[in-house]
Amino acid sequence: MIKIDHVTYRYDEEHTALKDISLEINKGEMLAIVGHNGSGKSTLAKHLNALLLPTAGHVTVEGMDTAVEGNTLNIRKKVGMVFQNPDNQIVTTIVEEDVAFGPENLGVHPEEIRRRVNESLKAVGMEAYARSAPHMLSGGQKQRIAIAGMLAMEPEVLVLDEATAMLDPQGRRDVLDIVGRLNRERGMTVVMITQYMEEALAADRVIVMADGMLIAQGTPREVFSRGRELRANGLDLPPIAMLRDKLIDGGMNIPADVITAEELAEAICPLK
Amino acid sequence: MLKDITLGQYFPGNSFVHRLDPRTKLLLMSAYIVAVFIVRNMWLFTLVAAYVIGVTAIAGVPVSYLWRSLKPLRFILIFMFVINLLVTATGDTLFEWWIIKITTGGLRQAVYISLRLILLVSGTSLMTLTTTPIALTDGLERLLSPFAKMGFPAHELAMMMTIALRFIPTLIEEADKITRAQTARGADFETGSLIDRAKAMVTILVPLFVSAFRRADELAMAMESRCYHGGEGRTRMTVLKYTKNDLKAALSMALLIGIIITVQAVA
Repeated sequence: MIKIDHVTYRYDEEHTALKDISLEINKGEMLAIVGHNGSGKSTLAKHLNALLLPTAGHVTVEGMDTAVEGNTLNIRKKVGMVFQNPDNQIVTTIVEEDVAFGPENLGVHPEEIRRRVNESLKAVGMEAYARSAPHMLSGGQKQRIAIAGMLAMEPEVLVLDEATAMLDPQGRRDVLDIVGRLNRERGMTVVMITQYMEEALAADRVIVMADGMLIAQGTPREVFSRGRELRANGLDLPPIAMLRDKLIDGGMNIPADVITAEELAEAICPLK
Repeated sequence: MLKDITLGQYFPGNSFVHRLDPRTKLLLMSAYIVAVFIVRNMWLFTLVAAYVIGVTAIAGVPVSYLWRSLKPLRFILIFMFVINLLVTATGDTLFEWWIIKITTGGLRQAVYISLRLILLVSGTSLMTLTTTPIALTDGLERLLSPFAKMGFPAHELAMMMTIALRFIPTLIEEADKITRAQTARGADFETGSLIDRAKAMVTILVPLFVSAFRRADELAMAMESRCYHGGEGRTRMTVLKYTKNDLKAALSMALLIGIIITVQAVA
């Protein structure tokens, strides 16, 4: 689906944000990219829809090179992106008008826009707010509107660039539920950029970045069983994995690949 | 709370006037402005006033709202009245003292100018009272779109207005937050001389501007991600359509202007 081929990105002479990254994003998967601030994960995300172009290397979306200007619109049509600040991505003063913004830019027929807007608002459970003013909504609701705005463009990949970072726990849960459902029910490819390790647990595959480099990848279980290595790179583990390591350090006999609360409970007091 | 401010002075409703196409309202308002300026007859002024009051009644807007829109105008009104009264010197002299001389012509001129201003403001505010800012922007864009071929930035203007309308509440909220944050740090916005207070405002304005630029940057990125590439090839979800009501409204305005022109041509 998306191929990142030896991509390097420099802001200027001294600052290299991405260092020779190669990665393939497969159709229908849920991929989490984790890393702390300044690890380059957001920079990488912005390469996925041609907002940034690699200094060296190539990014191709279904064979279309992002560096070719003629491809830009088609790439952005396929790769929808939701950003961190819910306020700064809503363009108009009425919710449904905002959801319509994307398809309007694509020159979609008015009746078709109407159909897509209604459907997208329903998909994020915001149909009751169609005529509301965005500034009266909560952060989580605004992010759901932003997702609806993307869905209305009917993309194949949804990139969430720290989309939950500014939300309260309830808003975060709502957004993650919706994204999970889109992935399962519609086969939407999802790329989740986050610094919350527990969000990465729901992904099919986790990529860990540090200092512009890809330092680990695999299933959440594979990645989070390498706790010490991740912590050496300044990353936190999901709370359960952290507890697991503490218990192991304390001398308990627990498998090193435990990542959920149920598994941990099972490991601590196994049924006979 | 500042967050709940309403933008513009829209008076929500679903009357005949509210439902008119925003383009119709914009065009009729332009015609109305012309009408107000060609009137030179007391009876016709009454007729125009009756028209405004009639439209207000149909729209279901309380007359007090029109009154409120005139309030900021009171000093200009008084000023214009007095100046015209004193400067114009035609017709019979009504009153003379020292250098002050009031004539019938001057009195007439002063009354006409004041009436014109009142009718102008109340008539045009009737439009903003019955049309949402976003509908107005939309109407304006579509009215001006024929000029886009000549290089007039109709779409860009409308987009700028839309974004401004969208971000006014956000920025007000932010200004409010910064004010409280600075107050908590000991900034004083309420006492001191005017200059001191103006200086204190800098501590609000600087962070507000910095944040506004950051927002603009992020918004631009979000808009680009949503395939925004200017007005070219762009469609709209809501299509404006003229209805029979728009025709009726236009006819009423045509009738008003027709009467004014005929009466003044005869007189």
